[in-house]
Amino acid sequence: MIEVRDLIKRYGGSRAVDGLSFEVKPGYVAGFLGPNGAGKSTTMRAILGLDRPTSGEALVNGKRYADLAHPMRQVGALLDAGAAHGGRRAYDHLRVLARSNGIDRSRAAETLEQVGLAGAANKRIGTLSLGMRQRLGVAAALLGDPGVLMFDEPVNGLDPEGIRWIRHLMRDLAAEGRTVLVSSHLMSEMALTADRVVVIGRGRLITESSMKDLSDRFRRDVLVRSADQPALARALEQARAAVVFEDDAIAVRGLTARQVGEVAARQQIPLHELTPRSASLEDAYLELTDDSVEYRTEATR
Amino acid sequence: MTDVLASEFLKLRTVRSTTYLVLSIAATLAAAVLVAYLMTSDYDRQPPEVQAAFSAADPNAVVLPFGQFVLGVLGALAVTSEYGSGMIRTALVSVPRRRVLLSAKVVVVGAVSAAIGVTATLLAYIAGEVITGDRPEPISAYGSFSDALPTLLANSASLTLMGLVGLGLGFLLRSTAGTLVTLCGLLFVAPTIALFLPPPWDGRLYSVMLPLLAPQLAGGLPNAPLSPAGAGLAMVAYLVVTLGGGLVALVRRDS
Repeated sequence: MIEVRDLIKRYGGSRAVDGLSFEVKPGYVAGFLGPNGAGKSTTMRAILGLDRPTSGEALVNGKRYADLAHPMRQVGALLDAGAAHGGRRAYDHLRVLARSNGIDRSRAAETLEQVGLAGAANKRIGTLSLGMRQRLGVAAALLGDPGVLMFDEPVNGLDPEGIRWIRHLMRDLAAEGRTVLVSSHLMSEMALTADRVVVIGRGRLITESSMKDLSDRFRRDVLVRSADQPALARALEQARAAVVFEDDAIAVRGLTARQVGEVAARQQIPLHELTPRSASLEDAYLELTDDSVEYRTEATR
Repeated sequence: MTDVLASEFLKLRTVRSTTYLVLSIAATLAAAVLVAYLMTSDYDRQPPEVQAAFSAADPNAVVLPFGQFVLGVLGALAVTSEYGSGMIRTALVSVPRRRVLLSAKVVVVGAVSAAIGVTATLLAYIAGEVITGDRPEPISAYGSFSDALPTLLANSASLTLMGLVGLGLGFLLRSTAGTLVTLCGLLFVAPTIALFLPPPWDGRLYSVMLPLLAPQLAGGLPNAPLSPAGAGLAMVAYLVVTLGGGLVALVRRDS
């Protein structure tokens, strides 16, 4: 269980997080979405007590992180892959962390095995690839078998096999009844992993909903192809639909696919294709965060 | 707290820099012993009036300044390597109580510095005694072990102090380069600058410079401005300022 309440974090004059509140409960994967600079990492760092909130609070299992006795047994966090001493061996890194939280040293070998790094146990962290360091960070997060897990941009640097692995891992962890919060700036990634999303922009909450509600909320149309497009378009307009020609197809708004089919049947126009479309989650996300993109390239403006 | 102590000790043991620093102290010790041996064999070939003007063949005279710097580096790296690599975030996530983390580092770095300091000082003393044998002063540094004891203790204390000063500066400055430059400045540059000040400030400031504290603590310097107790107080002041500053920086600043 993660609770963020009225969190404000100011750096100098700018507000990285500006009155953010949300909750993450056990049993599902919660996606934490926002453009670069939206305040995702700052929020996660505030939850972990690395940054002191200017005001508001962030609680894990009802307590401030710093008040947890053996925090790694309750919370596992993957912050960034570089957060380890490059000269230390992978196994020693985990042993150091396990020792600090009274976790049995056998967990170091177990988690290395679990993330597929058993063969690299005695390599120095500086010699590992970004993807392998990312896996080591996941091993560190899993070390204390915690009930709450936070991953900041976990797919960074992973190869396709690794990305698939971490998606499964996060879903499995949630299915075991753990609380899982995953940040990303890519909606497409979250669409494949998350059950719920918390979308933020410029440090503020934009929306918090289930993935399904989010995709339902965004405009839909029906794509239709038929033997006589102009005739069908006229008939649909008479049925009060909005019609837009797209190449050799018609995009219909205001009617369901079923209604479009019935209109065509009454006109005896053979249909070649009838496809209900929802705006992709990617589009939904861009629409949601459009006002809050902080660093934008000229071309997309 | 014992878990965190054990973890911090494990941290120190599992990086190569610790090994290299210990090896460099061993190398310094070996070089110091060689110098003492060469001095002694030179001494044996000289007429008595030249022999009387010799300084002591004491390996500790070489080991102390090098050891001070190396242990300062050891203390500094115990924290700046974590800031440099991002390990500090992982460390603070595993031990979010910052006072506990700093205290554990103080205990571990202090104990390791003391162990290295006592060992190096004692070995240097024993080697010096073996080399000079039953030759009289001044080539033999000490008449007996009880004569030597104040110096040996003061040197060990000074080496331990440097480990902790390095650690405190590391917490304060966070950067390895910055901390090592500051250590060099305190050990090698500041004493020289102090001597350029107008009297009486030159002597006053010079007497509280880090390299000057060990001999004053041992009471071995003739006309020393500081009494042994005064030198001890100055050492404590260095600890309070650097570690206190480091603690404030760690607790107040985001990581």
